[in-house]
Amino acid sequence: MDTSRSPMEPSGFSKKIAAFIIIVYTVVTLIPITWIVLTGFKSVDSAVSYPPEVIFEPSLEGYVNLFTARTRQSEEYLDSLPPPETWYEELVRSKDMVITGPSKFFSRYLNSMIIGFGATFLSIFLGTLAAYAFSRFKVPLKDDLMFFILSTRMFPPIAVAVPIFIMYRKLGLGDTHIGMIILYTVVNLSLAVWLLKGFMDEIPKEYEEAAMIDGYTRFQAFFKIVLPQATTGIAATAIFCMIFSWNEYAFAVLLTQFNAQTAPPFIPTIIGEGGIDWPAIAAGTTLFLLPVMIFTVVLRKHLLRGITFGAVRK
Amino acid sequence: MSKIELKNVTKVYDKTNKAIDDLSLIINDGEFFILLGPTGAGKTTTLRSIAGLEKINSGKILFDDEDYTSVQPAFRDTAFVFQQFSLYPHYKVFDNLAFPLKSRLRNLSKDEIKEKVEKIAKMLKIESKLNNKATELSGGEMQRVAIGRALVRDPNIYLMDEPLSSLDAKLRETLRVELKNIQRNLGATILYVTHDQAEATTMADRIGVLEEGKLVQVGTPEEIYNNPKSTYVAHRLGSPRINIIDEEILSLKDKPNNTKQLGIRPENIKINTGTYEGKIRTTEALGAETVIGIEYKQIELLALFQGSFKGIKGDNIKFDIDTKNILYFNDRNENIS
Repeated sequence: MDTSRSPMEPSGFSKKIAAFIIIVYTVVTLIPITWIVLTGFKSVDSAVSYPPEVIFEPSLEGYVNLFTARTRQSEEYLDSLPPPETWYEELVRSKDMVITGPSKFFSRYLNSMIIGFGATFLSIFLGTLAAYAFSRFKVPLKDDLMFFILSTRMFPPIAVAVPIFIMYRKLGLGDTHIGMIILYTVVNLSLAVWLLKGFMDEIPKEYEEAAMIDGYTRFQAFFKIVLPQATTGIAATAIFCMIFSWNEYAFAVLLTQFNAQTAPPFIPTIIGEGGIDWPAIAAGTTLFLLPVMIFTVVLRKHLLRGITFGAVRK
Repeated sequence: MSKIELKNVTKVYDKTNKAIDDLSLIINDGEFFILLGPTGAGKTTTLRSIAGLEKINSGKILFDDEDYTSVQPAFRDTAFVFQQFSLYPHYKVFDNLAFPLKSRLRNLSKDEIKEKVEKIAKMLKIESKLNNKATELSGGEMQRVAIGRALVRDPNIYLMDEPLSSLDAKLRETLRVELKNIQRNLGATILYVTHDQAEATTMADRIGVLEEGKLVQVGTPEEIYNNPKSTYVAHRLGSPRINIIDEEILSLKDKPNNTKQLGIRPENIKINTGTYEGKIRTTEALGAETVIGIEYKQIELLALFQGSFKGIKGDNIKFDIDTKNILYFNDRNENIS
């Protein structure tokens, strides 16, 4: 008998099958992302050429178009201008256009940042406190309250879009940052409370009791002892909250137009001269993917431990 | 250090179950007091009530005659050693030991903290581990740090909840001796909870025996061993356990009226002499001593024999009972000797 591996260790053959499935899955998932990243570096013409160009001459036209507003001008007018000062002006001129100013993309992107991180922070802040209370104290009707919190996620959030729309108009919260932060926090909170309560339950209450006997108040014990040990759970929960707030589209379309519009409803509206500007849209999408990817990579160590929490005890 | 007094303390978890039932107790300043009892007798609840982690339903808790019944845990200034989960895993050993000293209530300078921590670490022989993470220690070291975290300050009382129970036998013995020495040197007041009678007899100045939330007897280890109030208390101390048998089995002449049961310590049964005759049922060699199970009139008597014993199972054996040291119990299991 082969004793070199433990009975739980999968055989070489099933490992190979698993690896094969993972590779296929990875390739399938990466195709659209690769396509988007590549399209961002194509020119407007090659982006729509058929058959699709796999090998092409890279161009920053998409990114330039994404960040600038331009108008088409007559040749005589263009000739009368002084020579272009920067590489992007030159690029725009070659298409018979001039830059009239920055586009709205940057402000929309900033809105996404403010609302995404704001809602994530608020969800985690409130969720941690609520989860701690539910985990440690005798709360009257605890089980019913927990069920109620969960029940707010039993229907798709967009099902209540109309009442929320009316409510937000009356309250003056429509198209405001704070309004969107509140909305995303409300949606995230049930997930945050439930996830974090699970993590809090895993932290023995003896730690805080010891701290309280050692001369600290419950609040001090919470911040000094409980919170550092809950970082795994908090990181995992934060990623889920961030992904939702960052990607949310339906409410953003409905409730924001100008002041607080986030990137998701803005990107598809990037229309170039004489047709949809696919490279600019692809460039916007690529940039849009980055923060949430960086956020996840930074916290991925915690995420993995978070998912396996309970199975792996220190 | 302080004198701690519990006056008629009752703690109820759910309506039917009294965790502690009308418990009154005085722990003197500088005393090593051990609460002994099986699981569920209310030992831990008593500790937690003194520390302020449990709200008692009725009664009073006094520290040096001052009412502390409703004082917050932080302001009671007690030190608690838990059975488990006793170290803060995200801190180094030094910070674990320093944690109680860093509390705003104590207002100590960095140098004072460092000095105190190093002194305790030396006393517990963990000075080389001060920069280790708490999770990088062995079980024995962890528990020593936990005890150190309590000893590093000078509280009203040290409360210890079976601090040695998770350690291996050898370490337990070493720490037992160390702990007793430390207590003597510091003149510390300690309330120590255990179900291990060896810990109770070796360390305690006085022992309190708990039965279902009630304090049934308080006394020195000798008093409790020699003169237990009931069969329950008699069972708590002594290894091998005391023989409790129906009095008819021996039908002694000199006995108090209404004797129902007899208590005979194994060391009071002498082997290979006397008038009783039984059969060997079991033998258990403990090194210098042997525990012999003797079958006599359908019951088993445990006898403690000094030296190594040669007999084998099934052999007939003669034995004698030292009647001077027999304990007599009435039909309510009370000692009437």
